[in-house]
Amino acid sequence: MTISLVAVFFVAAGLIAAGAFAAAWRRDVTAALAGVPLMFAGAGVAFAGVARFAAAGGPQLFGQEFAVVLAIAATALVALGLGIAGREGPR
Amino acid sequence: MDSLHAIGFYVSSGVSLAGALGVALLGGRDLRGASMAVVGVGLAGIYISLSAGLVAAVALVCYAGCALLVASPLYRPMASVVGPLWRQVGAVGAAGLLAVLVYSAFRGDFVHANFYGGAFGVANLGRLFFAHDALSTEALAVLVLVAFAGATAVWRVRERTR
Repeated sequence: MTISLVAVFFVAAGLIAAGAFAAAWRRDVTAALAGVPLMFAGAGVAFAGVARFAAAGGPQLFGQEFAVVLAIAATALVALGLGIAGREGPR
Repeated sequence: MDSLHAIGFYVSSGVSLAGALGVALLGGRDLRGASMAVVGVGLAGIYISLSAGLVAAVALVCYAGCALLVASPLYRPMASVVGPLWRQVGAVGAAGLLAVLVYSAFRGDFVHANFYGGAFGVANLGRLFFAHDALSTEALAVLVLVAFAGATAVWRVRERTR
C-alpha cells in the first residue's frame, strides 16, 4: 500500500468540493463561511502533495510553505467574516 | 514510503473528509465546530504522512481556532438573500467541480521526484519564510492583522450603535 500524488489530489478534490458545497448550500451566511477553510484545506493538501511527490528542481518546500499560508489565511478570513456578521444581542 | 505511512494517510483522509461532510451537512453551531475540529485533526494526519510536520502543527492550531470561532454562540446568524434555486445550482456546481478535479487528477501525467526534505522541515521552511519569501510572510502578517483588527472594529462599532 502506497501513497501517490493522484490519491492526494483525490482527497484535495473532496475537501474543495465539500467546502464549495457548504458555501453554496447553507442558508445562513455565517454557516456558509465555514466552507472557506475547507476549500483552503483542500488547496493546502494539494500543494503539500506536490511538494512531497512532484517538485523536481528548485526548493521542494514551496508547497508546504503555501499550505501554511493558506491555513493562517483561512483562520483570518473566518474571523473577519464572523466579525462582520456581528455579535448576537441580548434577548 | 512504508505501509504505516500509507495507512495513516488514508485513515486521516477519511477522518478529514468525514469532518468536511459534517461541516457541510450538520445543523447547529456546536456540531459544525466539532466537525471543523475533526477536519483539523485529519488534516494534520495527512500533512504528517506527507512529511510536513510543521504544516501539520500550524494546521492543527489554525483549524482549532476556526472550530472555536464557528462553534461560538456569540455571533449573529445572517440569512442569505440567494433563493433556493440558486443554492441548488451551487450544490450541483460543487458536484461538477468534484467530477472535474477527480477526472483531471486521474488523467494527469505528473512528474515524479524524490523528496529530500526531512519529516518536519522546520529549518528549511524557516529559511523560506524569513529569507527567501520574507515579503510574502510580511504580507500574510498584514492580512492577519487587518482581519483581526477589522473584525474587532466592526464588532465595537455595531455595539456602540446598538
